[in-house]
Amino acid sequence: MERMEIELTVNGRKHTLYVSPDRTLLEILREEMNLIGTKKGCDDSNCGVCTVLMDGMAVKSCTILIPQANGHSITTIEGLERENSLHPLQQSFIDNFAVQCGFCTPGMILTAKAILDENPNATEDDIREGLHGNVCRCIGYKKIVASIEAVRDGEYKESCGEV
Amino acid sequence: MEGLIGKGEIRIDAYDKVTGKGLYASDFVNQFPNLAHMKALRSPYAHANIKKLDISKAEALEGVLYIMTGYEAGLDWDQFPKASIIAKNETLWAGQMVALVCAETKEIAEKAVELIEVEYEKLPAVLDYYAAIDPNAASVIDPEYETRPMGFSDRPGDRASNRVSPNVVGAFKMHSGDVPAALEKAEVTVEGEFWTGKKTASPLECANAICRYDSDGGITMWSNGAGVHGVIKQGICRILGLQESMVRIIQPYMGGSFGSRLNPYVEVITALMCLRTKKTVSFQFNREEMFIGAPSNWPCITKLKLGAMKDGTIIVNDYYLAEEIGACVNNTFFSGRLSSSGAVPVYRFPNLRMDTCAVATNTVPAAEYRGLGCPEGEFGIECLVNQLADELGMSPVEIRMKNIIDKGERNAFGELITSIGLKKCLQSVADAIGVDEAPIQDMGVWKKGRGCGVGGKQNTPLGRSEAEVWYNSDGSLQLFISCDENGMGATTAMAQIAANELGVPISEVKVTKGDTAITPYDNYSASSRTTYNTGNAVKIACADLISKLKEEIARVYGLHPTKVEIKGKKAFLAGSYVQEINIPSLFMPTSMFTQGNWGLQKGTPVKGHGLFCPAPIHQWDENGLSDRVWNWFQYSAAAVEVAVNEETGQVKVLKIASSADTGNPINPKLVESQIEGGIHMSIGFTINEEHVFDENGKIANSNFSDYRLPTILDMPTNENVHAFINPDPLPDGPYGAKGMAESITIPVGPAIAHGIYKAVGVRVTGYPMTAERILALINEKKAKEAAK
Repeated sequence: MERMEIELTVNGRKHTLYVSPDRTLLEILREEMNLIGTKKGCDDSNCGVCTVLMDGMAVKSCTILIPQANGHSITTIEGLERENSLHPLQQSFIDNFAVQCGFCTPGMILTAKAILDENPNATEDDIREGLHGNVCRCIGYKKIVASIEAVRDGEYKESCGEV
Repeated sequence: MEGLIGKGEIRIDAYDKVTGKGLYASDFVNQFPNLAHMKALRSPYAHANIKKLDISKAEALEGVLYIMTGYEAGLDWDQFPKASIIAKNETLWAGQMVALVCAETKEIAEKAVELIEVEYEKLPAVLDYYAAIDPNAASVIDPEYETRPMGFSDRPGDRASNRVSPNVVGAFKMHSGDVPAALEKAEVTVEGEFWTGKKTASPLECANAICRYDSDGGITMWSNGAGVHGVIKQGICRILGLQESMVRIIQPYMGGSFGSRLNPYVEVITALMCLRTKKTVSFQFNREEMFIGAPSNWPCITKLKLGAMKDGTIIVNDYYLAEEIGACVNNTFFSGRLSSSGAVPVYRFPNLRMDTCAVATNTVPAAEYRGLGCPEGEFGIECLVNQLADELGMSPVEIRMKNIIDKGERNAFGELITSIGLKKCLQSVADAIGVDEAPIQDMGVWKKGRGCGVGGKQNTPLGRSEAEVWYNSDGSLQLFISCDENGMGATTAMAQIAANELGVPISEVKVTKGDTAITPYDNYSASSRTTYNTGNAVKIACADLISKLKEEIARVYGLHPTKVEIKGKKAFLAGSYVQEINIPSLFMPTSMFTQGNWGLQKGTPVKGHGLFCPAPIHQWDENGLSDRVWNWFQYSAAAVEVAVNEETGQVKVLKIASSADTGNPINPKLVESQIEGGIHMSIGFTINEEHVFDENGKIANSNFSDYRLPTILDMPTNENVHAFINPDPLPDGPYGAKGMAESITIPVGPAIAHGIYKAVGVRVTGYPMTAERILALINEKKAKEAAK
């Protein structure tokens, strides 16, 4: 397919790409930009391991065609870490043992960020509702919810930089 | 417990995983600019003759490097993992490879697959146990293959007795006590037939492998398969005839396995393609292929009868089990013995008869899945124990307390039970849920019920684990191991053991793992063995290291090594003019010109090596009995409160408690994670997950829209999920630890089944317990009541 020009802001930096419009945002992030923290698990937006933030909203990058992302701002897991400081959610996932194989973790953390950005006082039910598009096979979700609640409750602001 | 053991140390891989920096095998596609890509053409029919296969147009396509078919010269397909056998003349399941293309790009490979011309002639297919066991069933097994029954079953319908379905492919028989006499003696009996659905483990990272062709003719592979030494390297060397020195296997982070990646169905064929093309090749399964082209679990059918006395003492279990193993032609693995092993470790069963077999079907070949058939094999037993309790007017907890084996007793095989914490497990979950109390019915059409179950799983005494520990000249430690890290936290537990042995914080231990050119032999992480096998090897390696280090230090100070104590970087010397020294200071600096460089030298670590192998089994006698069939047993109990919608049949788990007897846990937080993960995996396959077939025998729901994995909304809220650890130390485990990951998945299904019975009065005889099935049972019950 004929390539087209795509403008994309990824993790705060502007990029101009010339890519085929039939490629997905996931493919561009992984294959062209080497942002391999965004994973691929299913191709039909059911597992959530490819979740990224598009203008702050959690989206499944496997079902976003690259023209749909044109002009938008994307945050991947690589964009969360500050200089020598983890994002509070990242630190909380570590401390609360919310990680096993880790394949769902980047998508979980980004979805969690979107949930708390939209509603800093999200209840457990809100968190469950927000996370139900992200599948985890190892951990059973309890520790993931606990990690998000710990950040919501302000346990991590000091040590890990801004939310 | 000592030092770091029993502490919730932070996972050593957590930082890599929360930052997205950790590389998984599938991330390595970015590392090779000229990577060639493989794509399979798969059969759309469960059983068909291949009338015509024309690859000429595909071969002519520019950029196509190689097309492999079942007719490839010089291969013995029998030796290949079943799911990677390319069909020759006949396809045996829908999804079997008919051709495998390798091309310069993914797009060219996909285009080439479309250009391959195949004509099929559909043949009758057998898709489940009931079709397979029919004496007049079509044969799944290609006449070219010989089946190799392992046992001696004479059950009617068995192949060995010649009154057979041609699809029975193995058998095992065991008889302890006198079952017919005990059945006569029993005051009450319950019996039933139970089934389980076919499921796919569905780790989130799809199976994949990249194989580099090295300039010396060797290969280097990155894959998310399990067992770098014992499965992948050995498999490749044996099947493809490569020298061991020419094969290097590296396992980066794995995106889950749950047993399913113990089968090297991607690795061997990818290595073969690499050798044929002399290119670096990549084989990335997509999600559909994970269902149709990768092994499923093996469902089990059980038919059993329990006999008991009126006081609840169970005296007999007459037990039949059949494993449904898919298109596992030329079977040398399945006989029902593995799945039926769960009937032995939990209850006394003074009279137990087991008669088991496996049946082949035209479905994807089966392989390991968490629990190795025990969740399926024990489901019927647990359901009948609950039914027995109901019929005797006893509590399901009480009847179990009466019949669960105690430590020091022998099980039906004749094996001594050295570690069993199951009664404590059961009590903890029963108390948390209130199993013996009826819930308040306050949800309208949703009726609540509570139930419980228990489970035990053997550890197979296979394998060999090695470990190497380095004490560097600056006092830092390195640990080299080859166990798998499927995600369960094994590397953290192993680092914890090494740190504890050397008396340093875990942060001082750098772990290198899973690279056959660097790390020592381990066969694989299966049967929940890693903590036990590799853990023992790490402990032995540390002891070896400490002994060598003591000898070196003692030599410097003119002491006997027993006078030296080591704790981290410090050595304490008894009877010397020096009481305490900093060990790194004893390593002599070296330069280009220093001579006489013996003894402790900068840059040269002191190394310890450990090797651990469990004792082998004692071959069982003509009754299938032996005092050592398995190694040790892990146990779990679960209790639930469910709600069942009377009008739709939908089942929801409202509360769940699960407990594990892990022996002494090395890291209780990791154990808790495994319990909680096991709960949700079991809820998924108990209520939802199963393969559904279309009219061609192809899996119709080979994607995550239609094969619905449990999401967070299928789990109870956090306050209603309880995980308990009730250890009974295993005498031969490291610090008394044993494995635990599999047992969690055994009792959840029967606990839910009993909850459903208590809620709406229907007895479930299989899973998944979909809304449709539960509603049918409710309607059946209503019709019967109306008829009365």
